[in-house]
Amino acid sequence: MSKTTQAPKALRGVGNFIDDRFHLAKTGEKNLRKVFPNHWSFMLGEIALYSFIILLVSGVFLTLWFKPSMVEVIYDGSYERLQGVPMSEAYASTLFIDFEVRGGFLVRQIHHWAALIFVASLVVHMLRVFFTGAFRKPREINWLIGVAIFMLAMIEGLFGYSLPDDLPSGMGVRILQGVILAVPLVGTYISMFLFGGEFPGEDIITRLYMLHVLAIPALLLGLIVAHFMILWHQKHTQYPGPGRTDKTVVGTPMFPGFAVKAGGFFFFTFAVIAGLSAFVQINPIHLFGPFTPTSITSGLQPDWYMGFMEGALRIFPNWFDFSIFGYAVPMGVLVPGLGIMGVVFGGLALWPFIEQWITGDKRARNVADRPRNAPVRTGVGVAMITFYGLCWLAGSNDILSETFSINLYLTTYIFRVLVILGPIVAFMVTKRICLGLQRRDRDTLEHGYESGTIRQLPSGEFIEVHKESSEETTDVLASKPVITSTALADEVDDKGVENPAARKGKGRLRRALAHWYTKDNVSFEGVEPHSGHHLHHSKDVEKESAAH
Amino acid sequence: MKWITARRRHPLAGYAVVILALVLFGVGYAAVAPTSDQAQAQTLAAEVASPDDADAAEGKVVFDQTCASCHGLDGSGTATGPDLREVGPASIDFYVSTGRMPSSDPSAQMPRREPVVSEEELADLIAYYNESIRSGEAGPEIPYEVPDEAPEPEDFEPQRSDFESDEEYEAAVEESAAEYEAALEEYEAEYEDYIQGASDTDMGMRLYLTNCAHCHGWSGGGGALTDGRWAPEIHDSTPREIYEAMVSGPGAMPMFSDGVISPEEKQELISYVKTLQAEPNAGGIFDLQRVGQVAEGFIGWTVGLSLIVACAIWITAKQRAHD
Repeated sequence: MSKTTQAPKALRGVGNFIDDRFHLAKTGEKNLRKVFPNHWSFMLGEIALYSFIILLVSGVFLTLWFKPSMVEVIYDGSYERLQGVPMSEAYASTLFIDFEVRGGFLVRQIHHWAALIFVASLVVHMLRVFFTGAFRKPREINWLIGVAIFMLAMIEGLFGYSLPDDLPSGMGVRILQGVILAVPLVGTYISMFLFGGEFPGEDIITRLYMLHVLAIPALLLGLIVAHFMILWHQKHTQYPGPGRTDKTVVGTPMFPGFAVKAGGFFFFTFAVIAGLSAFVQINPIHLFGPFTPTSITSGLQPDWYMGFMEGALRIFPNWFDFSIFGYAVPMGVLVPGLGIMGVVFGGLALWPFIEQWITGDKRARNVADRPRNAPVRTGVGVAMITFYGLCWLAGSNDILSETFSINLYLTTYIFRVLVILGPIVAFMVTKRICLGLQRRDRDTLEHGYESGTIRQLPSGEFIEVHKESSEETTDVLASKPVITSTALADEVDDKGVENPAARKGKGRLRRALAHWYTKDNVSFEGVEPHSGHHLHHSKDVEKESAAH
Repeated sequence: MKWITARRRHPLAGYAVVILALVLFGVGYAAVAPTSDQAQAQTLAAEVASPDDADAAEGKVVFDQTCASCHGLDGSGTATGPDLREVGPASIDFYVSTGRMPSSDPSAQMPRREPVVSEEELADLIAYYNESIRSGEAGPEIPYEVPDEAPEPEDFEPQRSDFESDEEYEAAVEESAAEYEAALEEYEAEYEDYIQGASDTDMGMRLYLTNCAHCHGWSGGGGALTDGRWAPEIHDSTPREIYEAMVSGPGAMPMFSDGVISPEEKQELISYVKTLQAEPNAGGIFDLQRVGQVAEGFIGWTVGLSLIVACAIWITAKQRAHD
């Protein structure tokens, strides 16, 4: 009985051999015992990691046959419909992967579905981090890395979409070139440099291929490793609960508990992607046909993650276009093509610093916020989602118009209005919902939860018996942080000296923002858990029933 | 019953009942509801129509009943319907055979539907049009050499009332079935000839992607146009209808006369469209209607990511204290 914990001798021998040389036991123990908080929303980033691994592996498979060349060949492969059609070698080799390589079609679909899931999981992971305030000190750098990964993933996806040189990829590249051309002064030069001459030229696929399989994945991999190492060092945030503070972590140890879960989760992610790839056709390049500069088709969109930019391009009016010294400045392309992207990514990158500047909160925060407890941040987040979502929907306006029989022009006008009004309404509604939830939290804290038991008092009055919440709930509710800002300090200090910051414009702006950020909050001050009258009622009832 | 009694409080019992009920209603409805065959059998149609035995006098009756109220008794047009004298028989054939005319709402774009006028009546109508309404040789001719719709068994079915005894009727039924088989075979051969007769996929593809795809979409699935109009999907269109649409330019569609795109090129183009439509979906049983990226993104989020997140919730779930 006493020796059951000892490892078998063979394992011990190997273990000791390694440990004598690399002294891994100590590091290993420390890291294998690392604690991970248990919550489903902490797994979202893992979906991204796993789909990235799937992308790497399936991508390597595809490179074995793909030829990134725009040399024109006459197709004579096994896909009968296109035999005798002139096409680029890139397109012909993609057909080869689809129809001649064993499992090639499936792997290409896995690569594409994994890309869609990868970017989607990046988005939901980022939203989780945003809404729980997990980007606050000390995690600002990791947030910035995350934003960079998101941006690179989008560009990586766009370039990958462009490689097969089929009809949609050519159209996507054409839009990209249009946006580049819209850049004042340097646009035409960048375009000529990138394409090695006029569109489409003969170099673009080769160049995009290098970026898609080498440069960007290398950057992504480096950033993901950095992201992960910083996470490892700083540890996860955790939701409020008993024993969870800014200084302690509660959760499952890495080994064996969390490692098993994470491993299983990888296989589930892979199963879903493989399942989609096996049953749902994606990007059927053999049906589209090869790209020629004269070809164009309606009803074509970029992959979903580029949809918001497509939408912005579709609905932005041309009212602001102007010419200067005979050179056209197409604001109708420039603003949605680059401006909207700047707003979305710039806003994401800057938000942690903006929030910190407003609140003056410089403490390390390891306990995540519940979104309702930071109503302004949550409202801003939902407003941003609304803006993004509307731009995204606008990108499919022709499909919406056809599917739901709405006038196409009407959809443009509707989206133009909604894209401005929607975020404002979304902010106000979300903030109200947050405050409502806060109020309910205070009620629950004071009065306990509604048990569903109706009692009649001797006086004839009916009451619903409230019961005391569990210790965990009480703890979560009572830990609601108070949102304050150092900018709201008195304008005049106790010695009668005016606060110098309040005199300048920047200081006044900060004060105004701080007021906006903190003004509406349900105060929990003086709330004693389970002190409400409903509970006293139920105690009365209990006393009474005890007396009977 | 014991088996059910023991399991009726099972956590999945509710779902099982709902699924059973859905299956019951679904299958039950399918069994009771009239199938399209039965519905079509109720319409009258005797013999396959051909331009040779068309009767212009019969055609006048059809025209006066269904067309004249908008286009005028002489086809010169009224406030609600355009002048027909210059449009040519191809246009008439296109509009009537796709069910777009007679229109139920002259101010709106008409969708494709089952034709109101039978094939025989249509042939009569066109004979009458050529004889009495058309000004000279104006407008494109119907391309009779391009295959139209496949014959339907109903076109050959004899009427019970035409026969005196059951034996005669049954013999006629058998005979008509053989006639139908023969006609279908002939049609299929003609269709194959036309589609296979085009051999230059590249030309067909370029013509389609340059001239047609920016409205009808790469797959022929249709698309939205300006001012609330739309380019219809062309999956159900017969080669002849596509041809007629090109030469007559119905609605907002531009006209591609035989001088612009020669009949041989039209054959390539039509062959490209029809071959693409007949193409099986190599990528899986769900083709998402070949809508493309919007549908793919939708499925990626609603099915793909949702399933994975559901799994994350499942594996991190723990028994919660009740409150």
